[in-house]
Amino acid sequence: MTAQPIDAAAPQAQWLKAALAPRRRLMALASGLVIADAIPAVGFAAGLALAVGALPQGISHAVPGALLAVGSLLARGVLAQCATAVGARAARAVKGDLRRQVLNGAFSGRLSDAETMTATVEGVEALDGHVSRFLPARLAAGVTPLLLIAAAAVVSPFTAGILIFTLAPFVIGMALTGMAAGAESRRQFQALERLSGLFLDRIRALPAILAFQAETQQAAVIARASENLAVRTGKVLKIAFLSSAILEFFSALAVALVAVYCGFNLLKLLPFPAPDQLSLTRAFFLLALAPEVYVPMRRLSAAYHDRQAAEAAVPSLARLSDAAEAAPVRPPVPTTAPVIAFRDVEITYEAGAPVLTGFNLQIAPGATVALLGTSGSGKSSLLHLFLGLSPLSGGEVEVHDVRLSDHPDLTAWIAWAGQAPVVVPGTLAENIALAWRAAPAHRIMEAATRAGFTGDLNRIIDERGGGLSGGERRRLGLARAFLKPAPILLLDEPTANLDAASEAALLPVIRAAAEGRTTLIATHSEAVAELADVVVRL
Amino acid sequence: MSVLNASGVARLKTLIRAQERRQGMRLLAASVCAALVYAAAVLLLGVSGWFITASALAGLAGPLVAHSFNFMVPSALIRFLAIARTGGRYGERITGHDAALKALAALRPQLFEGVARGPVTRALTLAGGEASSRMVQDVDAIQNRFVRLSAPWGAAAGMVAGIGLALLTGWTTALAIAAASALGMLAAALVAQGLAVPAGRAVQAASGDLKTEFAALAAAAPELQAYGIKPWAVDRLTERGAVLERATQSLASAGGWIMLTQSGAIALAIVGVMATAATASPPLIALAILAAVTTVESAGALLTAFRHNGAVKAAIERLGDLLEASPQAAAQTVAPIIGLPAADLSLTPPQRLAVTGPSGAGKTTLIERLMHLRSPLPGETTMGEVDVAGLSPDAARALFAYAPQQAVLLAGTVRENLKLALPTADDAALWAALEDADLADRIRTAPSGLNASLGENGARLSGGERRRLGLARAYLRPAPWLVLDEPTEGLDAATEARVLQRLAARLERTGQGLILVSHRPAPLALCDQRLTVTGLSASGVVLMSLHKARSAA
Repeated sequence: MTAQPIDAAAPQAQWLKAALAPRRRLMALASGLVIADAIPAVGFAAGLALAVGALPQGISHAVPGALLAVGSLLARGVLAQCATAVGARAARAVKGDLRRQVLNGAFSGRLSDAETMTATVEGVEALDGHVSRFLPARLAAGVTPLLLIAAAAVVSPFTAGILIFTLAPFVIGMALTGMAAGAESRRQFQALERLSGLFLDRIRALPAILAFQAETQQAAVIARASENLAVRTGKVLKIAFLSSAILEFFSALAVALVAVYCGFNLLKLLPFPAPDQLSLTRAFFLLALAPEVYVPMRRLSAAYHDRQAAEAAVPSLARLSDAAEAAPVRPPVPTTAPVIAFRDVEITYEAGAPVLTGFNLQIAPGATVALLGTSGSGKSSLLHLFLGLSPLSGGEVEVHDVRLSDHPDLTAWIAWAGQAPVVVPGTLAENIALAWRAAPAHRIMEAATRAGFTGDLNRIIDERGGGLSGGERRRLGLARAFLKPAPILLLDEPTANLDAASEAALLPVIRAAAEGRTTLIATHSEAVAELADVVVRL
Repeated sequence: MSVLNASGVARLKTLIRAQERRQGMRLLAASVCAALVYAAAVLLLGVSGWFITASALAGLAGPLVAHSFNFMVPSALIRFLAIARTGGRYGERITGHDAALKALAALRPQLFEGVARGPVTRALTLAGGEASSRMVQDVDAIQNRFVRLSAPWGAAAGMVAGIGLALLTGWTTALAIAAASALGMLAAALVAQGLAVPAGRAVQAASGDLKTEFAALAAAAPELQAYGIKPWAVDRLTERGAVLERATQSLASAGGWIMLTQSGAIALAIVGVMATAATASPPLIALAILAAVTTVESAGALLTAFRHNGAVKAAIERLGDLLEASPQAAAQTVAPIIGLPAADLSLTPPQRLAVTGPSGAGKTTLIERLMHLRSPLPGETTMGEVDVAGLSPDAARALFAYAPQQAVLLAGTVRENLKLALPTADDAALWAALEDADLADRIRTAPSGLNASLGENGARLSGGERRRLGLARAYLRPAPWLVLDEPTEGLDAATEARVLQRLAARLERTGQGLILVSHRPAPLALCDQRLTVTGLSASGVVLMSLHKARSAA
């Protein structure tokens, strides 16, 4: 994450606004409920005032006022519960929409899996507070104080004047300190993130740290960074807390001003002609109402962090969800195995060193090629090119009469089997049929038999692949490849993590699957490589 | 989740308590400030109510009474309380956060060392999985727990102040307010226990499920694409996400119910005051009503703590689970003499052993067990005539400098990565090691040289450069044995020859022994003996055979 000045947040805010637009009505309802709280707030103040005002006539006269206060209080509780529930419902709806949108961009090689996972889980979750707390709080901060001041004006225009008069410096103070605190807390947020990142990185690097016995050395690195953060955060927090203390002091000052005015008005000791004549009831009403005027703005400043968290998540969300997939051309599937030619192919993922450069290879129709090399040598990336999952950064790949640089959709041309085939809860037959939903039963049976499955095709497999051994799981992938009549077969580590016997049993199945198709196998097994007509070492 | 690891949780709790003691003064200050805040808030409102009512009565009684009414003391008191409340809040936040940050600065490294020194399988599982990112969240949850430690004191002070004020009106009124507050807290605790805690756990579980499912489907991305089943995968993950969102919504809604119980408790307190204070003077009744409102509100500070209790508890359990003590082996030093009973082989530096065999046969497994980077099997390898399985990890690891097939790099600079192997190394030594790994030219041309930052796990280097940096790092460590796993894979012939020639010269100079895993002819030529690994037996033992054919020229 890079540091951003406050102003640079504008596009993020715009993006957020557009993303939330479809759920505007639900969010408006949540804000409406928060604002509606002003009515029982006035009711509560009035009830208390009526009750206290009636006390000199005896406590029984105070009962109606007390009932109004109690009723208003319960109404406030119910409204708060409703506002929370609707806000949470709105957040849920927004997050659901957005997660689907983000997931549509996932599995496309656009961002690394780790980044996509963070965007789908934490990134989407970061919008929760923004929708359920910050947005209603922002609207309420603009509307509720004015409503309450209007109610005060009915009883005492002069007091309403005092409240408006103190509101102006409060708002200015909040804008200034809020912005300063916002900038500081953003910096602190980033510092914390860096520390979390360091901690995470050292946990990930444990294999090297253990091998070099650097546990103590690295614990000291973490300790230094933590202490550093503690010292720096201390300073940041002082500013943030000071600004909120200033807000609190302003509101206390305003309330005290109202109290003093009311008190002296009642004592008839004002040093100037009284602008309005207060009774105990009216004075008590004003006193009870005054603190409520400042509550929405303080709530807003407490929710400010939610907005920052949401804006911080926007860049990765936007990258995944905005790049809507343009409908690509789907060239007709050739009837025979195609020729494939790689010319000076380069693959470079975003912001990284090239995975592969200057790769050249000509594959005859129906030939089988093994790509041999250790992890990270780019053999999986070469296979991913055909599915648009890795970027063709340079050079050209020609398949039959199609160029991959035109980004065609070759899905229909390709059968694929990898080391961890997807398993869906259901029968074995249903799992094989994922490759061709409408496949007739006898074709599924045939594919299963050729992949070496024996026994009941209707046995149930759970989603964790329960009931399948490691070898059977690969066979499932190969059965799918048998079932799909595609002229190109891509195999990614078809025997990785299998013992020698299971691998040997799988080899004839792989040979049969490759028959009649142009086949590329990424592997680091010499045994698998022996099946190939051509072996390429990367 | 695995079965709860009680000893680890107990250890973590001990660590946390130790930090609580160390930060005792700050936590005490935070608690005192919190108490000041809530007591001042209650007194402020109570006194204001009394003041206004008494003023009104004095005003009604005529100018004479009004002039003799002492408004100086109560209005000064109100101003004092307003300032005390603001100042107290500031002090509470500053000292509370300070204590939390300092406590965590001490806890984080302890947690890290606890994990690193735990059983090797657990530490390495954590290194690869999403559990590590969850660990960061859990540590943050504990930090928040420290911040909230002052909450009960604030709540208690608020309640004591409120009930004390109400005593001026009468003991029955005080009792009524106390009862209403207690009922309110009980109701909130029940809601928290019944709704918030299960919802909080459900959120954690659902978010874990979503990540696990995501990782499984992401690994199968090409298959999803090839068979056109991406929409199905998106639907599946969306459903998992919906479970998470429902849980989050229940958690928020539990918060709403807690607020509702508070409104109910305040209402109850007002009714209680009206029922018990009939005979008191109007100003005292006004005081009691306002004291009732703020007393119940004071309890609110505790409610946040209630709501987060579940999350903190779960965090402590999960982190404690990671702090499993490794089986203790006596610290010892052993001679660097490697024995492989199955192959009838004994090796002493500067001997050189090549390990070959087909992929997946267990070459890496064998050498990593020897170095205690995997749990060793009893009887498989010995070190100085002691079974490696009976050695402490530290004693075994001290004898090796290891460059694995895929070097794991720190997200730091070139220098930091190299110094992992030898913290005391000077720049000359670093450059010499880089030179021997044929990486010096590449680093020298980078604008910041040794200070060039590598990105997460060396993202700014190519695969071959990462491997050679791993090699340079192993060279720096002055251990009796150098262990290299496929050191020249992916290098062109000229570079390979250069790297191997310098390796040979380095070995001559240092007198280190070499264990080299490779299937390429050039590096194997460096070695005088060759061990062929043929596979793993059913019980996981590595099967091997030895050839003493001298292959070097």
